[in-house]
This record gives sequence, structure tokens and C-alpha cells, in this order.
Amino acid sequence: MGKEKIIPILAFVILIIAGTSQAYVFITQNEKETLTINNEEYTIDQLFIIGETKTIQTIEGEKSGVSFEDLMNKIGIECTDCHTYTIIGSDGYQQTVEWELMKTGVISDDKTVYFPDTAKKFWVKDIIEIEVK
Amino acid sequence: MKNLKLIAGVILFGSLWGFSEVIIGSGINETGIPTGAIMTGFFALFFLVFSRISFKKPGMQLGMGLVAGSLKLFNPFVGCHLCSAIAIMAEGAIFELIWYKFALDDYNLSSIKMKSSIGIITAYLTYISGYIITQVLTPIVSGANFYIENLIVFIPNILGGGLIAAVIGGITVPIALLIYKFDFSIKDTLYYPTSIGISILCWILVIGNWLIA
Repeated sequence: MGKEKIIPILAFVILIIAGTSQAYVFITQNEKETLTINNEEYTIDQLFIIGETKTIQTIEGEKSGVSFEDLMNKIGIECTDCHTYTIIGSDGYQQTVEWELMKTGVISDDKTVYFPDTAKKFWVKDIIEIEVK
Repeated sequence: MKNLKLIAGVILFGSLWGFSEVIIGSGINETGIPTGAIMTGFFALFFLVFSRISFKKPGMQLGMGLVAGSLKLFNPFVGCHLCSAIAIMAEGAIFELIWYKFALDDYNLSSIKMKSSIGIITAYLTYISGYIITQVLTPIVSGANFYIENLIVFIPNILGGGLIAAVIGGITVPIALLIYKFDFSIKDTLYYPTSIGISILCWILVIGNWLIA
């Protein structure tokens, strides 16, 4: 089979893979009002009552939210620097961070996690869960 | 002299690509539409394909990626735009790998179906590979740990996110090849001042944008 046949077929296969993946992501998107931290459910309003708020300087300016350093201690995570923290967004995007980074971060009222002076890759939007491992 | 012309071309097209990423990309990003796919599918692919068919020099697009990535990396000068800078550099390298296999003869690009197909394949593979490389390299470069499970669970999103880039790429390549048919050749005495002038203008506009913002 020549290139003039293989290339259009390959392009078609790519469109099928991309379209199917989009459909899968849409179907499996996990939307919920609460967020789970270490297997406990919280609303964002509850987190703002429990933890102290602070403002951090990020690569996109100042961001305010509940301090993870304060929040994790107040919700009863023992030995905070013994764990890693996996932050999961509603779209499936997740980031695992060590306590050294986690304690510098905040969660804003729109459930976005920010860290100061880090690449945006580490930020997670619309989080639904923080796993403490 | 030919090498000098190529270097000027790398700087020119790399600067135009970087400029569009920084200035136009930032503008699109504020509207909330998927910036990465549009930037790869249209702007990156247009400059990569147009420069490739104009100069017909493998390796040039790798250099363009480095120039464009540098422009992104150093804007704003006090911040860290590591992800997108790595992605741009990676896209240049991946384009080289993909187009190494595509011989640029008239036979391959004779029909609109072939042009669009090559656009879809190039845009999609460039987008998803750039995304994955960025996810792996950013934590390593920034001194954090890389967790493979974070990447694996997000693979469907990355594969799906490339759909827009692929569709746009299917339109961009025919456009780039159509524009190439017009004769843009200019004399050397004009080529160098024009290339360097446009490149400097791109850098000044990016720096000026940062100073004003």
C-alpha cells in the first residue's frame, strides 16, 4: 500500500482515537459539590471555616485561599511531612506533591490549588479529592 | 552564506512563533478556549510547515523551537513559564521526527486530501507528544518528583485534547502550502535586514508587553 493510501487512513484513525477519547473524558467527568480529603467529605465553605486563609505570590500574580499547612494540621493529618499528597481535579488531572511543596499551597474558593513560584503544571483546577498517602 | 541565511530564517520564524505564543496565545487564553490546541494546530504548524517547505532544511525547525521556547521562557522575565517553553521546544523536535518520514515531493502533497491528512497527523502527534514531554520534564527540571501514575490517568484527556489541534492542523497545512505558491523571494540585501528587523520587533513587542502589563 502506498503513502497516498496510508497517510489518509492514519489521519482518519487519529481522528477516531481523539474523538473516542474526548467522549470517554466527557462521560467519566466527575462533578460533585464536595471534595474529599483523606477519605472525609468537605464543602469548600467548610474548608474556609476550618483553615486560615493566606495570599501567595504565583507566576500569575497573587492568589488567596485556605493554607494547606494550616488545613492539614487542623483536619487531623498526623506527621504531615511523612506523606505525599495527590490532588485530583474533576477532569481527572492530578498532581502528587511532597509536604515541602504542599505546605506552601492554597486552595481558592473556586476549588483551584495554587503553589507559589512553581510551573502551572502543579496547579489543579476544580479539585474533587486530595489523597494522603 | 547559505548557512547564514538559514540561521536568519531560524531566528525569524522562531521569533514569529514565540511572539504568537506569548502575545496572541495570552489573549486567546483569557477567553477560556483551548489555547494549546489552537497554538499548536495553527500558529506552530503554520510556521513549522512554511519554513520547512521554504528552506527544505531538516534541523531548522528544531532551532526554531529553541528560539520560540526561549522567548516564552523569558517572558515575563521574573516568572516561570517552564511548561509552555518546554512544550514549544519539544514541538520543534517532534515536528522534525515526523517530517523526517514525510518526503516533501509534489507526489505526497498533490491532493487536498494528502495535505489535510499530513496536517492532521502532524498537529495531533506534535500536540500530544509535546504535552506528554512537558508533563515528564517540568517536574524534573524544576526539582520536583515525577509520578508516572499522574500521567497515565490523564492520558485519555491528552488524547482527546489533541482533537481540536488535529482538525485545525488539517486546515493549516493546505493554507501554508497555498501561501507558499506565491513568490516571496527577496534579494539578499533585503533578506537580512528584513529578517533581523522583524525578529527584533517580535522581541521588543514581547518585552514591551511585559513592561506595560
